[in-house]
Amino acid sequence: MTAARAAASRPRTHRIRRILESDHLSGWAFAFPAVFLIFVFGIVPLIWSALLSFQQTNLISPPHWIGVANFRALAHDPLFRQSVTHSLVYTALFVPISVAGGLFTAIALNRKIRGVRFYRTAVFVPVILSTIATAIMFLWLLDPNFGLVNFLLGRIGLGPYGFFDSATGALYSIVGMTVWGWLGFDVIVYLAALQGIPPTLVEAAEIDGARTWGMFRNITLPLLGPATLFLVVWSSINALQLFDEVYFLTKGGPGTATYVVVYYLYSLAFNDGVAGYAAAIAYVLLVAIMSLTLVQLWVGRRLVYYSS
Amino acid sequence: MKRLGVAASIAFVLLAAACGGSAGSGGSSAPNGVVNLVLWMGYTPPPPASQGAEYESLKGIIADFTRLHPKIHIRMEYVDNDYALQKVTVALQGGEQPDISYQYGTNMPQVAQAPEVVNLTKIIKQPAYGWNDFTPGERDVATVGGKVLGIPALVDNLAVVYNKTLFAQHHLAPPGPDWTWSQLVADAKAITDPAKKIFGLTFPADGSETTVWEYEAMLWEAGGHLLNSSGSQAAFNSPAGVQALTLLRQMQAAHSLYLDFHPDAGQSESLFNSGHLGMIITGPWDLSSFPAVHYGVQIMPSFSPGGSHQTISGPDNWVVFNNGPARVKASLEFLQYLVQPANLLKNSLATGDLPTRLSVQKLPGFAAFNKKYPGAGLFAQNLHNVLQARPQIPQYPRISAALGREIVAALLGQASPQAALNSAAQQANSYLAAPAG
Repeated sequence: MTAARAAASRPRTHRIRRILESDHLSGWAFAFPAVFLIFVFGIVPLIWSALLSFQQTNLISPPHWIGVANFRALAHDPLFRQSVTHSLVYTALFVPISVAGGLFTAIALNRKIRGVRFYRTAVFVPVILSTIATAIMFLWLLDPNFGLVNFLLGRIGLGPYGFFDSATGALYSIVGMTVWGWLGFDVIVYLAALQGIPPTLVEAAEIDGARTWGMFRNITLPLLGPATLFLVVWSSINALQLFDEVYFLTKGGPGTATYVVVYYLYSLAFNDGVAGYAAAIAYVLLVAIMSLTLVQLWVGRRLVYYSS
Repeated sequence: MKRLGVAASIAFVLLAAACGGSAGSGGSSAPNGVVNLVLWMGYTPPPPASQGAEYESLKGIIADFTRLHPKIHIRMEYVDNDYALQKVTVALQGGEQPDISYQYGTNMPQVAQAPEVVNLTKIIKQPAYGWNDFTPGERDVATVGGKVLGIPALVDNLAVVYNKTLFAQHHLAPPGPDWTWSQLVADAKAITDPAKKIFGLTFPADGSETTVWEYEAMLWEAGGHLLNSSGSQAAFNSPAGVQALTLLRQMQAAHSLYLDFHPDAGQSESLFNSGHLGMIITGPWDLSSFPAVHYGVQIMPSFSPGGSHQTISGPDNWVVFNNGPARVKASLEFLQYLVQPANLLKNSLATGDLPTRLSVQKLPGFAAFNKKYPGAGLFAQNLHNVLQARPQIPQYPRISAALGREIVAALLGQASPQAALNSAAQQANSYLAAPAG
């Protein structure tokens, strides 16, 4: 009662000082640079492209509002359908191959062998290489007429294969190249998780008579669950947004063999001047990625064992 | 308390955003009467010494201009020509457009839709611009919907560059100015040697505009057109279009055509320079890439004897954007200076680029051009074989993309030439039916 009256009669300067001294304000001030950047480069484009998806615009001339016509047109666009198919095929191959490959490599590198640090570094090097450097390197290696790979295959009587230049092989060549490029990331995550497995559990299992396979099946794999879930979710998001490699290597070709969703929407917005339609595709992709992630997290919650 | 903190932060963010948005583009009209202009161009300074000629030439002309007009300062800013449209699109969104921008001719219909682009229709009627001295192909590409929106910056065209040594080795007569496609096909077949990885001819197969414009030159020479006369329907799936594509497909099936899936990477150029290609269809810009080869240049073949040997020209333009009357006036003064025949000749001699105005070819100093750049003289003459231009409509890039994809599909044997062109025509018609955007 007295305290309340005292508070009410307190001069305004006290209140301002209280605001200035509060933890909230300094907290927000620290967070401001990050919040500002996320706002400008994340939230604003998100809202802006949402508006674009209901417009007919080439980003240069004044836009026209056309309601949901862009979304309707998607249903009758054969190139969009092809792009979606290619993105799904790519994701369905890239995610399991890179995650399983990462697990296998991490287990191989999680032993006390001579030069293990060198091997671990070597596996991670492709991750830090720039995409364009990797792309140019693979372009020359896999060239159908003058590439080293076809030359070596020719020595053992195989090929020549078209790789990026063949309509049937281009998408798989990109899968191969990107798995090579991202494997190191999966390996690092799995290595960290492997080293977090408590030795006491391993010892207890050994005392109970567990062999290599049983140990892997019943101890290692369940404890790697959280890492696996993270990698699957993260790789799926990345795979559905495949763009750089296609842009540098194949430009969607040969023909339409490597048209994927993000490359298609890029070419629509920035080559063909159809930005509204491209924004609609971007939103469909956003919803698709969000739904897939939610499903993966829902399934993950049922399967993944969290130790603590 | 918590709510107040959030509100304060949001206010802070909005304030910062508001302040961030008002930065200028660098060009300005200062109070002392000096006008600062920003010019976007895709040239880079040396090193390497062999590649800086265009940059140095433009810089020299700007320096001469500044001596004559001390109150106009021009800042050259590098923008990759391939992305000049994207960059200007983004710049226009923020009101940060340059005063003068180098744009490909194919960008013009898109650029034309910007309210900030300066209409030059009246200005180019001044005699100093010599508008009718530019080739019809250049003028058509600078004009969108009857409005002149660009001053030609560069002109080129396609011709056949051939390896004289390979022709001599196979006892083939070098191509003459009245040659035909059937002669080219026979020569290519004779030169092809799979064991040595030698191909008769290369063709860009990335489905980009590079693919499409080479095909368009053939389409026109075969008597075809891209669109019907009213521009409402695709017309390239005609017998002429099929004839041109079938010829390429047959060369590919006979292994005498090297499909270059990455023409941007310069692979065809290095293969030609290393003697792996008999012929390459290209423009004057490529001649400096062939120092190791004894090459000749000939105009495009015709489909039947006595044909018109049509080629295609890809003129690029200087486009002026409105940043206030003082800056527009200064920009126009500069462009007028830039296209004076004497300056164009100076630029051609320094760079090997073809002069954009025909009268330059009659100047006494022009004889030195072909001496300094062997073969470039033929490209200059070949400007007379440019009889048509690509349609300057906003839907063109999308039509071209569809046509490019289908040409590649036909070259790879995934569809017959007729079926591929029909499919591209169907897509093109749907884009033409709906307004662009």
